[in-house]
Amino acid sequence: MPSVVRRLKNPGSLRIRSFVILVATLIFTGCASNSYVVLLKSPDGTTGKVTVSGKSGEQVLTVAGQRVPLDGSESAKPESEKEMKADFGEAIAALPKLPVRYLLYFTDGVALTKASEALFPAIIAEADSRPAVDLSVIGHTDTVKSDEYNDQLALKRATRVAELLKEKGLKYHAMTIEWHGKRNLLIQTPDNTYEPKNRRVEVSVR
Amino acid sequence: MRWLVLMIALFLTSVVWAADEPIGYVKQVTGAASVTTGDAKVAVEVGTSIFQGSVLRTGKKSSVGVTFKDETVMSFGSDTEFRVDEYLYAPTQGKLKFASKLAKGSLNYISGVIEKLQPDAVTVTTPKGTIGVRGTQFLLIVED
Repeated sequence: MPSVVRRLKNPGSLRIRSFVILVATLIFTGCASNSYVVLLKSPDGTTGKVTVSGKSGEQVLTVAGQRVPLDGSESAKPESEKEMKADFGEAIAALPKLPVRYLLYFTDGVALTKASEALFPAIIAEADSRPAVDLSVIGHTDTVKSDEYNDQLALKRATRVAELLKEKGLKYHAMTIEWHGKRNLLIQTPDNTYEPKNRRVEVSVR
Repeated sequence: MRWLVLMIALFLTSVVWAADEPIGYVKQVTGAASVTTGDAKVAVEVGTSIFQGSVLRTGKKSSVGVTFKDETVMSFGSDTEFRVDEYLYAPTQGKLKFASKLAKGSLNYISGVIEKLQPDAVTVTTPKGTIGVRGTQFLLIVED
């Protein structure tokens, strides 16, 4: 009952107190605005960079495990494990299996090397292990002969690999065939250069 | 003249076709979520297509994982709204861009090929600030 008594005695002081509480609440919720980014190490072990530009400035994150608010108002500080779990537990748990990429090499034309032919069962097993698997089959050539010739050859290589995968039992949700001809070399060479490592098809399994 | 009309028609068809290609697929989902592309809204399930311009929304206690064509991987927690503004993945033409918007909610992002081939090609905007990405994994949360 003392508060009632006090209110009766001095209604003004209660109004002041309410005002102070209101201001404190506004400041508190303002500071606690829970919009931020945390830099993490990539699955390949490297750590890149995240830049944040907001109305209060620009911040750069280069250290894994550090966070900054999205308005750019504060510099980097560590993210605790507890916060990470509370704010990102759901998203982290929903992360799909990381894509895998295979390289298949050709001796000549659409003839695969023995080692590459031996990879087909592994590719198919990998595809089987994924929900709604989608694949890209991308054909490449070396720089011998013209652009036009190599676009055709790259398409033939990709088509051949896609057909072989299907023949050997690949099941998939979606598959696209692409060809880069001689415009996307694995090993940089001058024009009209024989390079077995450029005679390849990439298979991206997602 | 007839040829010209035919050429233009073919060109338009190929442009429409390109815009209609899925850029990614849902690989994992819990709870209720939706993808809206243009006027079409679908309930999310494993295998649902994501297009340029798609808006993904998750509800309460819901999460979704998506893998994009360039091997970018993203997953979202509950009460999220995410839009793909622009997705260009044509390496031999030098067309590489991934611009998206997280209006609210949470995101776990892992870089794909677009970002490897062209640093600065990937941005995520939020109501509070814009994120630029270079070859990494990050976590992003947007709350009111």
